Amino acid sequence: MIQDLFAVIFGVFATIFIYSFLWKENPLSRAVEHLFVGMAAVYTLAGMYDAAMTQAVWGAQRIEGGNYIWIIPILISLMYFFFFSKKYFYLYRYPVSIVAGIMAGMMICGMIQSNFLVQIQSTVTLPLIGDGVWEWSATNGYPGLNSLLIIIGVITALTFFFFTWEHKGALGVSTKIGRYFLMATFGAAYGSTVMARISLFIGRLRFLYETTYEDWFWAWYVIPVAVACVIIVMLWQRSKPEPKPPEPAPKPEKPKSKA
Amino acid sequence: MSSARIARIDRRYLYILVFIFVSIPLLFPMKLPIPISEHATRVYDRTEALPAGSIVIEAFDFGPSTRPENYPQAKAHLFHVKELGMKVVALAFWPSGAPIGEEALREVYGSDFPDIDEYGETVVYLGYVPGAEVGMQTFGDNTATAKGTDHYGTSLTSLPLMQQCQSAADFDLWAEWASGTPGEQQVIQFVQGRHGGPTAVPLVVGSTAVSVPGMMPFYISGQIYGILNGLAGAGEYEFLLNKKYGYTYAQGPSLDAQSLGHVLILLFIIIGNIGYLLTRSQGGKS
Repeated sequence: MIQDLFAVIFGVFATIFIYSFLWKENPLSRAVEHLFVGMAAVYTLAGMYDAAMTQAVWGAQRIEGGNYIWIIPILISLMYFFFFSKKYFYLYRYPVSIVAGIMAGMMICGMIQSNFLVQIQSTVTLPLIGDGVWEWSATNGYPGLNSLLIIIGVITALTFFFFTWEHKGALGVSTKIGRYFLMATFGAAYGSTVMARISLFIGRLRFLYETTYEDWFWAWYVIPVAVACVIIVMLWQRSKPEPKPPEPAPKPEKPKSKA
Repeated sequence: MSSARIARIDRRYLYILVFIFVSIPLLFPMKLPIPISEHATRVYDRTEALPAGSIVIEAFDFGPSTRPENYPQAKAHLFHVKELGMKVVALAFWPSGAPIGEEALREVYGSDFPDIDEYGETVVYLGYVPGAEVGMQTFGDNTATAKGTDHYGTSLTSLPLMQQCQSAADFDLWAEWASGTPGEQQVIQFVQGRHGGPTAVPLVVGSTAVSVPGMMPFYISGQIYGILNGLAGAGEYEFLLNKKYGYTYAQGPSLDAQSLGHVLILLFIIIGNIGYLLTRSQGGKS
């Protein structure tokens, strides 16, 4: 279908235009950026509208079938639009407070159970002695050593956040070790971030190199055209005079002190 | 090269180098060996251990922005559960995940999906389930309350598979393909915790690499049974499936490219640190 061909061509243009930002910000990269944000917003809006209609309006158990209780959540949801009214802005606070209240109630129960109690339980029950705990395995190393590192890491990292006492003596040593554990954690997070970003770049490159339309039109045919467009726009941008930076706002006058 | 020159290297040269290093293995695959991580093996083993006829949830909670990482994970797992004769309830708690989920189902179950014989009996696609965390909790408590119809408007009461799974406790595995909120943490908080914990609702996760360090406490505690870590996790899973089921190991060149990209970034870090140490030794600002 011809729309598939259009999708391939448009995909290549969008990819090259977005990545041209790395060289220098330009109208093409901004245009595709705005397009992406706009499309994502509209898609989400349409999805939400469709979900609201199927959830509350259409169907035997919904408004259509005479179950008018569903009018209440619809009315509460519509109150969000009072955000745009100066006079009735206070009504906008009702749906916000309802949602915040529900979420707080849900989160407190869920978080305490899963992120607090279970985590403490699993930390204090980490095996340090027992069969196979100090035996080497190719995938997991020494499980006992892992447990020991976790226990030391948890305790020392927690002491780093004790601000009531000065970090001196034994506490000072503990906070220093805790700081190294935290640095290692941030390092691992950075490494994972690099890995994820490279993965996304690989995904785009594979699209450019491997996508084909009916085995005769390859996506990479479009790359030179897209790159040429970027070069032309950048040259045009360079030929234009640089816009003057906005003048700084005047400094407010100091209030005269009362004599 | 002096420290000042290192500091003055234009970042655009680094981008060009990354582009070259990542492109070479994609154009000329190097077939580097890949070690299979324990996290990926646990996802595979857990799935493999389930008997035929088990009911699995496949939640497509990601959008186009993380598709290169999440999509191959989800597709490979979907293939795996289909090969093992399991029943699948697929859905998305993200609006943007709904069309991606449908695409994966079409690729695994055939381009005629949902007009296939087994639809409703062994596979159902609910599409987008609204409400984010609230929707997730509602779905866990009562599947029909969260959404009355499937993605195509068919009432859940007329789908035999949905009669077998009234709540989260009726599912044998929850496969969460996630890149944010709601994602795996919300499954743990709002579903697993309310329905008997990890043994009652076993959770396997395929995630973007960025999120994996944050998941490790849940993995160590057993709340998450196994993790596919980004593109590498997808590649590892494909490799395992390829050995037993002949599934296409498509991520090989991607993993080669990732390895080379990482080597380059390590070099950048080393050079940057040398520059930093030289500047400091010369009394400059660190």
